This record gives sequence, structure tokens and C-alpha cells, in this order.
Amino acid sequence: MKCSYKGSAILATDYYPFLYKRPISSLPASFPSTSLSYPTRTRFLSTRIQARLIHDDPVKQSEDLSFYDLLGVTESVTLPEIKQAYKQLARKYHPDVSPPDRVEEYTDRFIRVQEAYETLSDPRRRLLYDRDLSMGFSFSFSGRRRNRYDEEVVEEKSDWKKKWQTQLSGLKRRSSHRDNNTMSWAARMRRQHNTSEDSSP
Amino acid sequence: MAEQEYTVASDSENTGEEKSSSSPPPSLPEIAVGIDIGTSQCSIAVWNGSQVNILRNTRNQKLIKSFVTFKDEVPSGGVTNQLSHDQEMLTGASIFNMKRLIGRVDTDPVVHAAKNLPFMVQTLDIGVRPFIAALVNNAWRSTTPEEVLAIFLVELRLMAETSLKRAVRNVVLTVPVSFSRFQLTRIERACAMAGLHVLRLMPEPTAIALLYAQQQQMTSHDNMGSGSERLAVIFNMGAGYCDVAVTATAGGVSQIKSLAGNAIGGEDILQNMMRHIAPQPQEASSSSTAALRVATQDAIHKLSSEDNAQIEVGDKISKVLDRSEFEEVNEEVFKECERLVTQCLRDARVEGCDIDDVIMVGGCSCIPRVREVVKKVCKKDEVYGGVNALEGAVRGAALEGAVTSGIHDPFGSLDLLTIQATALAVGVRGNGNRFVTVIPRNTMVPARKDLFFTTVNDGQKEALVVVYEGEGGESVEENHLLGYFKIVGIPEAGRGVPEINVCMDIDASNALRVFAAVLMPGCSSPVVPVVEVRMPTVDDGHGWCAQALNAKFGSALDLVTLQRKM
Repeated sequence: MKCSYKGSAILATDYYPFLYKRPISSLPASFPSTSLSYPTRTRFLSTRIQARLIHDDPVKQSEDLSFYDLLGVTESVTLPEIKQAYKQLARKYHPDVSPPDRVEEYTDRFIRVQEAYETLSDPRRRLLYDRDLSMGFSFSFSGRRRNRYDEEVVEEKSDWKKKWQTQLSGLKRRSSHRDNNTMSWAARMRRQHNTSEDSSP
Repeated sequence: MAEQEYTVASDSENTGEEKSSSSPPPSLPEIAVGIDIGTSQCSIAVWNGSQVNILRNTRNQKLIKSFVTFKDEVPSGGVTNQLSHDQEMLTGASIFNMKRLIGRVDTDPVVHAAKNLPFMVQTLDIGVRPFIAALVNNAWRSTTPEEVLAIFLVELRLMAETSLKRAVRNVVLTVPVSFSRFQLTRIERACAMAGLHVLRLMPEPTAIALLYAQQQQMTSHDNMGSGSERLAVIFNMGAGYCDVAVTATAGGVSQIKSLAGNAIGGEDILQNMMRHIAPQPQEASSSSTAALRVATQDAIHKLSSEDNAQIEVGDKISKVLDRSEFEEVNEEVFKECERLVTQCLRDARVEGCDIDDVIMVGGCSCIPRVREVVKKVCKKDEVYGGVNALEGAVRGAALEGAVTSGIHDPFGSLDLLTIQATALAVGVRGNGNRFVTVIPRNTMVPARKDLFFTTVNDGQKEALVVVYEGEGGESVEENHLLGYFKIVGIPEAGRGVPEINVCMDIDASNALRVFAAVLMPGCSSPVVPVVEVRMPTVDDGHGWCAQALNAKFGSALDLVTLQRKM
């Protein structure tokens, strides 16, 4: 009854124009504003919750996960599996169904899962993402580090962004020249894993 | 004008996750009731522990006419008031169609169309709220759509309390897709006036989507977790509004992929027909107009099942109407239905042949031409039969009420979830008079997105953040103003140097907050305290605010998007 998915057709015709004409908007619209720490859902944010958000928030750790990690799938996942994984995670993290005392952190997580889903369920975006991932960038775009306010992250952020843009304008080689500050923790780990046994988590 | 309402409504501003904060600690959570406030009729339903139960009034009606009569000292609404005849509603003493009028200003074409109604709708065409009045003992008594709705909701609440033998406070209401956030605040206000606390305002087709998700889950329990996803188009057209949604459903989760809607409905069809039958305008509150309205309505209903219908009004009008004539007169309405469905499919990036089910609800979904149009666009021969056209929305709202109240059903009937999407884009004025989208239409919520802006003038120390909502039209005038605030304390610098981050956050209960922060190059944290504003902040006379801001500040406090900083 269903038509076959039209993604491959789109890829065949649109991939290059899409990539080169609109490099910036091809990414998920939102971008981490690393230096900013807007409150989450302030209205009921108790100090207890705040403390947890800052100190031992499991969500925070997820900031550096790849989109595949966020959805809990492998990189060879199929589209129906992505949809299924997304819906299962939604049932866990959506604020309507999450335990009342964890709404804040689960909402954060849900927004991230959603972005992972939006990227991976769109064949064009997924292709771009896979390419970047294979080059060692973990583009977990909205790993909104709103609970981190150390200055280092800001530097890292704008630097990283500049680098990424240069890369998109064609200077891809630039990406191989790296210093650790320009990459997320996960990206560093991945690279270290790939290249040497040297590790400094 | 609305000051006292403000104080009443302020407690509804605190909607959110911890909803039962102000009710006494109950042993069981209070199950929120679902209310479908229709332009022409309303219904109320609640999860009774095993299924959804639609409540009935003392006359055993499930569908209650939406009107309030100001005949005597105490106004009475359709819940308690028994009309001996349909025409009794049309003497000028009753206000109805409040859902078409609520939150609209007097330059709105929908308000102008309401001037043909028997009660008074006076417009000065300057962008303020229209003057609405009921004829009581030959005097016009003024009221507002919010007040009328509140009176009606009080009756509905009392009816539910009698029937459920408990206090009713928490509600989930269905609303049209095309409602602006400003209109939604008016609905919340009416609810607060009626002592009701809004947990959710659900776009009508998303309530249907939830009901559909439950049905899918019940009929195919083995599908749970198999990942088989069903795509459905939901088309809802009542007396006042037409709404469309595309939803992807699997395992009890209904993910809204796109929404589209417009203030077009049975009322427009009725008025088109009345003009067609009696082209000479008549006194709107005259009894002959009332008779014409009732007769035309009957004829339209008849034409849904028959090829022609006879219209007789007094001794002046006697006419046989056939269906093709009816379809010709309302061609524009049907075209708009087609456009909405097409747009919704396009926004969801699906094609007609991807669709598994077409669900049609609302009074106008019985019109053969409407069914044809929708089936044609969706390339389906059949319409899904599992949802009652007039009860679906209230059933869905009751399900959402139970889910958001944290009720668990041992048989899994409430293992449901709706992932809502934004019906309208939100953004700010920037780049001159442009609408710069921050959160686009059909973004899944909860959502949080941000954009970087910068100043337009050298040494600009302040910037105006003007927030709009709309379909995403390029100029701000095509969108609704939601509010504005000023960022102060920007350090003196050349234009384009300060980085102003505008972040928008929509939570699960659809509350919108706008944040703004100023960053300077080489400085890692915001240089002035971050501003957080809950939107909307405007009251009546939206257009005026924008004009006044323009007159006072011109482009002195403007913003432009910061390139390469997205």
C-alpha cells in the first residue's frame, strides 16, 4: 500500500546542490549556544533539581554522544528502525510521560533525541552527518551546555564553528589539522581511539 | 478593560508539569476532563477508569449548542437552556459563534463576516476589539467573547460536577489549529474566569490523532514495537474552522508531522447560501433573517444526503436548491479545503500515496464535495470509519486529560503519547521589516532554538526584540505580534560587533518563552543579565503597538541576523 520511500530519488537529484548552495541551513536549524546558560523550565526548578543538573546530571553526559548513540542505534540502522527507536525514546523522555521529578532533565534529553531523529530520518541530512562523523566530528548540535559556564567552552565553541564553516566552503583539509580544543570530548575520544592508544579522557 | 480578568487569569499562567499544585492533596490524581468547544456545539468527556465517557446534560444531550442567552438577570447557556425552536437563538438576545470572535480585532475579516449575525458586532476598523452586545429588553447589553465563553464553561463545569460527583478543575480543551497564541490566552482566560485550569490546549486534529493512536494500538497489539508506522491525514471541519494534520502513529505514539488550518467552516457556507438565496441584505436581527438562516441550514444538511432541497421562508422565498448549485456557490470554500490538505501533506513531506488512512471529522465532513476533495488529494477511495465525526475531538481530549493527569491503565489503553508540533512559526523582527523565523512551523515540541543577531547602528546600546507568530510570511505585517522587549546595556561598539542571541523555548504545555543575551567578542559570558520574557505580552490592539514602536524608535534599535553564526 505504501509507496517506496522517496529518499533515494531526492539524493540522486538534490544532493550536490543542497550541499553546496545551502551548506549552513542544511544543518539542523539550531545550534548550541555554548556560552549561554538560559534557565530550563524555571517555574518549578527547585534547588534540588538545579543541584542535580549541575553536578550529576546523566543528561549532561549525553551531550557528547553522537546522534546514533542518542537514539541507541548502530550506524547501519534502517529508517524504520530509526523511527521505532525515536518513538520508544519519546515514550520515555517526553515530558508528558516522564516522572514528575525528572521532567527538566528528560525534556532536555527529549529535545536532543528529537534533533537526532530529525537529522537521521532525513536521508540527505543523514548523509552529511555521516560524512562529518567519519571525519571525526561529533555534531551533536544542540548539546546545549546550558549548565556549563566555563570560559574554555566558549573559545572552543566559536573556534570549532569557524573551523566547520571553513570546511564547508571547501577547505576540507583544514579538518585534519587539529588541536584538542576544537573538538568535543567524544570527537577526541573517537579520534584517539582510531589513531593511537594514547588516551587522556 | 481587561484588568480584572488579568488577576483571575494569572493563576493559569502557571500551567505546566506540576499541575495539581493548588488542589488539595488527593489520594488519586484528579483526572482532567476533555472539552471540545465547538463554534456551534460543545461536548465534555472524561476517562472513567476504563474508557472515555461523554457526559450528558439533563436533557440527555451529548452535543450541546454553544450559545448564551442574556434574556433575564442571569444569563443562561446552552447546557441548561432549552430552546423551543432554533429561531429562538436568533432574536439578538443570544450570543453564539464566540469561538469565531474570541481574540480577534475589528479589522479581521472573520469579525466582519459576523456582522450578519443577529446580535450586535460593531467594528470601528481601527484594530481594537469589536463591540459585541446582546439585545436585552430592547437595549444592547455589552459583553465579550471571553465572558460568553466563560458563562458557558461554568454551566459545562457544573454539569460535569453533578454527573461525576466531584469538583472539576483541570481541563484539556481542543482549539483550532489556526489560533494564534494571543487567541489561546483568551481561551485560557475564559477558562480561568470559569474556575477551570487548562492543562493542555490541543489543536483539534491532534486530539483525533490521539484517539486514532489508541485505536491502532488496541486493534494491533502485536504491532507494538514492530516499528510499523501508519500515516494518517486528519481533516476536521466544523462551523467555524477547518484544520488538517498529518500524523505518524506507531505503538500508541502519535507524532504530529504537520498542521494546517484556517478560519473557514460551515458558517461561511451558510452565509454564502443565505446571500445566494436572498441577495438583498436584511436587518440581521429580524425574524425573517432568522427564519432564512434556519431554513438554509436545514437545506444544507439535507443536501449532504439528497440531490436537492426545498427552501421556504414565509411567503417571500420558495426555492429548490440542488447540490451542484450549492457546490458552485461554495467553490471558494472547497478550494481552500483542498489547499489546506495539499499544504499539510507537503509540509509533512509525504505524498497522497503514502497515506494509510484518511480521517474526516466535524460537521462539514459530511458534505459530499468536501469528502471528494479530501479523498482526491490524499488519493484514497475510502475514509477511515473508526472515528465518530462529532465525538472524536472530545474523546481525544479526554484521553489526553487522563494521560497528562498521570493516570495509568492496567490494560494499556492509556499507553499513549502525542508529540505535538507547532502550528505557526515564531520569530522576531529583523533585517528591516522582515520576519526572521526562530522556531519554524511544524517543529516538534518541546523545542528550543536560537539565532544570533547583531546591531545595525554604530554605538547602538539598546535593541528591540519584537516577537511575531504566523505562517512565516516574509514581512512582519503578515504575522501576528506577540510581544516585544528591549535589550539594554549593550557595550558601545561598531555595528555588527555585539552578538545578540535570541533563544525561544516552547515547553510541552505549549508555553513560549523568549530569551535574549548579549555577547561581545572575546568575552565568554553575557555582558548584561539575560532577559527572559513569557509570550504573548500584548493585549488588544496589536497593530497599534507595532506602529507605535515604529513611530517612536524607527530603525534605531533594529537587529539584523548575524551571518555565519547560525
